[in-house]
Amino acid sequence: MKDVTIFLKKEGLEVWRTKRLILILTVFVLFGLISPLIAILTPEILSSFGSELNITLPEPTSLDSWMQFYKNLTQIGIYILAVFFCGSVNGEIRKGSLVNLVTKGLNRSAIISSKFIMMMILSLSAILLSFFITAIYTAVYFPDNDSPHIVAGLIPFLVFVVFFSAIILLGSTLFDGSMASLLFTIGVIIVLYLVNIVEPLQAYNPIQLIGENLSLVEGTMELKALGLAIASSLLLAVTAYLFSMKLMNKKKL
Amino acid sequence: MSLLTLNKVSKTFGNNSVLDNVDLAIPKGSIYGFIGVNGAGKTTTMKLILGLEEISSGEIKIDGEVVTFGQTKTNRFTGYLPDVPDFYGFMTAREYLKLCGEITGIPKKHLANKIGEMFKKVGLEDNKKQIKTYSRGMKQRLGVAQALLNEPKLLICDEPTSALDPNGRREFLTLIASLKKEMTIIFSTHILDDVERICDQVCILHNSKIVAHGSLTVLKQQYAQEQIEIQVEKKDDTLFTNLLDQLIKEEKIQAYTKKETAYVVNYTQPYLAVTHTLFAKCEQKDIAPTLLRKVAPSLEQIFLEVTA
Amino acid sequence: MNTEIPPFILDNWLLFLPILLIQLTLMATALVHVIRHDHYRIGNRAIWIALIVFVQIVGPVLYFVFGKEEDE
Repeated sequence: MKDVTIFLKKEGLEVWRTKRLILILTVFVLFGLISPLIAILTPEILSSFGSELNITLPEPTSLDSWMQFYKNLTQIGIYILAVFFCGSVNGEIRKGSLVNLVTKGLNRSAIISSKFIMMMILSLSAILLSFFITAIYTAVYFPDNDSPHIVAGLIPFLVFVVFFSAIILLGSTLFDGSMASLLFTIGVIIVLYLVNIVEPLQAYNPIQLIGENLSLVEGTMELKALGLAIASSLLLAVTAYLFSMKLMNKKKL
Repeated sequence: MSLLTLNKVSKTFGNNSVLDNVDLAIPKGSIYGFIGVNGAGKTTTMKLILGLEEISSGEIKIDGEVVTFGQTKTNRFTGYLPDVPDFYGFMTAREYLKLCGEITGIPKKHLANKIGEMFKKVGLEDNKKQIKTYSRGMKQRLGVAQALLNEPKLLICDEPTSALDPNGRREFLTLIASLKKEMTIIFSTHILDDVERICDQVCILHNSKIVAHGSLTVLKQQYAQEQIEIQVEKKDDTLFTNLLDQLIKEEKIQAYTKKETAYVVNYTQPYLAVTHTLFAKCEQKDIAPTLLRKVAPSLEQIFLEVTA
Repeated sequence: MNTEIPPFILDNWLLFLPILLIQLTLMATALVHVIRHDHYRIGNRAIWIALIVFVQIVGPVLYFVFGKEEDE
């Protein structure tokens, strides 16, 4: 536990000094701003093309803004996180920077735990920041009552990000190269999408957590309905985390 | 008593044997030279001792405790200076040493002082510069500082001088030699000169086996032949070569080699007798040697002999 | 050609301005870094410039994570 604190301090200093913290927050601030903007612009742009066609488009609502938010974050945002963290463990093994510390007695599991914690802190705070920005702009630009449960929509996504971080951690420990570990993470997501075709398994699939956010925001679905998916995601996350520790304990440095 | 013992240690990568049944005991308080050509398995051996690589068979003990692969408790006895140490470039040297000190468990109140001491010992400046701006030599010093921070019983240096310039090298060797009283040091290298300067015990690793080990003086007596180096004027070259050939026929000397302008003569008879013969022959042929000296046996000779 | 700023941009400047500023800063920072350095972990200068300019947000991120040499 003492080692986790020590190594976590180093991880914190690292994201700060290497400006990675700024970079990741900037990107997610952008996502937060872009989502309501696209919701506003989509009909405007369409109408500028289609004015001769004389089609009338429905006025965009707050729901469109949230739809853009989840689209951006689940289709691009999480992969940016994967890009960001895919070299987290294997990068240090490749460079040999852990040799000094491990031969000083640094617990190898503590390395994995610290990296996992740092990944979750960064990912979750970046997403929360993005969420608050979208929430503020949506409230200002779309003062309607179409999206009453924005927090309920976010919760499964946050749980998914915990699961996703664990997968990135595992990929980064399992594979020696950043690219291989990135492909592993993307591969896991593809497999989850494929598994989702099998109906009996759907309820347990972590991928559910990033598919129903809009229904939750709207209020047509309740958070309870995702209970099994939330439980299995957390279980899988813990498994991936424990497996990463086991791998790390037997890694050549 | 031995601080470090390797007991029938083998290490293979696939079909490639790096260490084959190696036995080794390193006595307390020595500077132990671990010699081998590049790729002989020196780094692998160091990594096995530190539990960073998995042993294929055999056993390694430090101060009586067995080294295990992965998390090994024996690391509290060791300080390690890797051949190319990698630090966190975004930290300052003090921050890095603080990180190391916290891991080792040096109490907070002593740590700042201890780090200051280390800066002095290795000759680094305690400033705000990030490590990424450091030169090779400075990084090497920082490497020594971090290795010494936990006051190890056993300091393991892997090829520490190979990347340093002559000045940095001399300074580094002086530093290591000054640590001798406090700890046992293993020093792996392919630079024999360095070993002769500071090591008192050596082993030579060749073709995944230890082909010679012991104290440097004993090894020299055991392996190396004494030699005489003679120089003559250029005009006498042919004459002198004939003379030496003649002496070999008469079995007065064993062999000779020409090194640049000098002749190195191997002999087994007493030094006095050999020089008498040489002088007599030279006088006969009217050759006046410009230089004649007894060459002390060198580690290089031993190395060439045992790895031949 | 119509050079007037479309009215919907003026109407929503509160959204446009920060996005524009952040995107330009991100792009400029990455571009300056690419131009100031000769060695990249992967890729070459032309590829990185193209990625940074043409792929919004993701381009600069990819450069900072995969292109930029560590400790630079």
